[in-house]
Amino acid sequence: MNTESVHPITHVKHLKPQEHWGWIIAIYLYLAGMGAGSFVIGAILSWFVDPSSVVTIYGFPLNLAKGAILWGPILVAIGAPFLILDLGIKRRFLYACLNPRTSWVARGFLILSAFIVVGLVTLVISILPFQWLIEQITFRRVLEIISIILALATAIYTGILLKATKSIPLWNTHLLPLLFLVSALSTGSMAIILSTLGTGLISHDTGVLNVLISGEQILVGIEGIVLFLYLFRSYRTSEQGKDSVHLLLFGEKKLIFWGGIVLLGFIFPIILEGIASFFHGNVGLIFVAGLILLCGGFFLRLGVLSAGIREQIPMQRLIEIQYALRTMKTKEN
Amino acid sequence: MEEKVLVIDHQKCTGCRQCELVCSVFHTGSSNPSRSRIRVVKWEHEGIYLPMICNHCEEAYCVEVCPTKACHREPELNNRVVIDKNLCIGCKTCIISCPFGHPSFDTQERVTVKCDYCDGDPQCVAFCYAKAVFFMDADKIQMAKKREAANKFADLLKQARLK
Repeated sequence: MNTESVHPITHVKHLKPQEHWGWIIAIYLYLAGMGAGSFVIGAILSWFVDPSSVVTIYGFPLNLAKGAILWGPILVAIGAPFLILDLGIKRRFLYACLNPRTSWVARGFLILSAFIVVGLVTLVISILPFQWLIEQITFRRVLEIISIILALATAIYTGILLKATKSIPLWNTHLLPLLFLVSALSTGSMAIILSTLGTGLISHDTGVLNVLISGEQILVGIEGIVLFLYLFRSYRTSEQGKDSVHLLLFGEKKLIFWGGIVLLGFIFPIILEGIASFFHGNVGLIFVAGLILLCGGFFLRLGVLSAGIREQIPMQRLIEIQYALRTMKTKEN
Repeated sequence: MEEKVLVIDHQKCTGCRQCELVCSVFHTGSSNPSRSRIRVVKWEHEGIYLPMICNHCEEAYCVEVCPTKACHREPELNNRVVIDKNLCIGCKTCIISCPFGHPSFDTQERVTVKCDYCDGDPQCVAFCYAKAVFFMDADKIQMAKKREAANKFADLLKQARLK
């Protein structure tokens, strides 16, 4: 019986990517990033525009306009339980903060908890229409600045979480936190546009909306450049980084990359917004473009997560040499 | 105190997977190799069998990334790296960060598990009839390992030169 021998290492075209962190973690990274990004954009926006539309609910007047642009912490609070959902033993999730000295998971737990608490306080304070609260301008500004810093930390942290697992070359780069930060800001600004679009909170002021949309388009442009640099760098650094990029661009995950990230995240929104600009800001078109862009943000996380291939083990070289010699011998015989 | 380490001679391994069996029996009480800490990776065509174990690294990534300090080093017991079952939350960060792919997720206990030298008496060593797994003093193994590696490389170089 003459069976063709299969090379144990080099015959495997691409090594398998990690499968331990899947779509649940992608949703968490996405919601945390988008929530933090939208809070940053919303809080800065509220300094310049200061929208207000008081609605009386159960005889209690609430300033809901601010709520519509500062709702990021709610999104992060929805995303955080997804991380707990992925744990083996879910009721032990509070243990996750025990080792902030070395572990980024623990640091992230603290950063996210702080952002959710401080951000929600900022949100509630901005909604409540009490006169004495409105007069405390310095207190509110300080609170907003602290929560913006925490929001930026949250957005960057989603990248550092992956970077901290050093053995996957696709993730182990400084460009990943940058990519996730830019993506968080672009999806966040889109979320703000969506939440204020139909409600008439700031859209009566078309100037603000135009500034937001053009800002969002610039961010999408920067995101595209960073994504290219990120993939280029990963391709060049190591063998497994190359495999990862190959897997993402032409391998099993090409649907996520070309369909999810490129088409949904970049091409469709740009085309739709281009068309919308000809129709004087057609609300429906911008709405659809926004929803598609948000889907693209999710697929970016999913793509990066699902294409992570572990680095070679040190003895691999030795085994390859041994194998090459063994095949040489068998050929001679 | 003398420190002992697990050493594998993969050229002696016959791929019988006895070590997987005894490991799972010792740690879980069931003869279920999928829950074993030691894994034999096989390439049957080539006759290469590689038992994969934890290296208890000096600078262990799993210890570094563990958010709960469940994965920690015990200097008093052969300087081993172990996961405390009662502290582990099963976040799988250590599995992803390990370059050797060692810690594995136990789907029944819902925590991550790894080699703990069986508290000083490794079962894989005791039951390996081919004697491919050793548990020996770290300072003795240094020289033996170096000599072994040097011999291997010298052989390879000689063979490569003959071609």
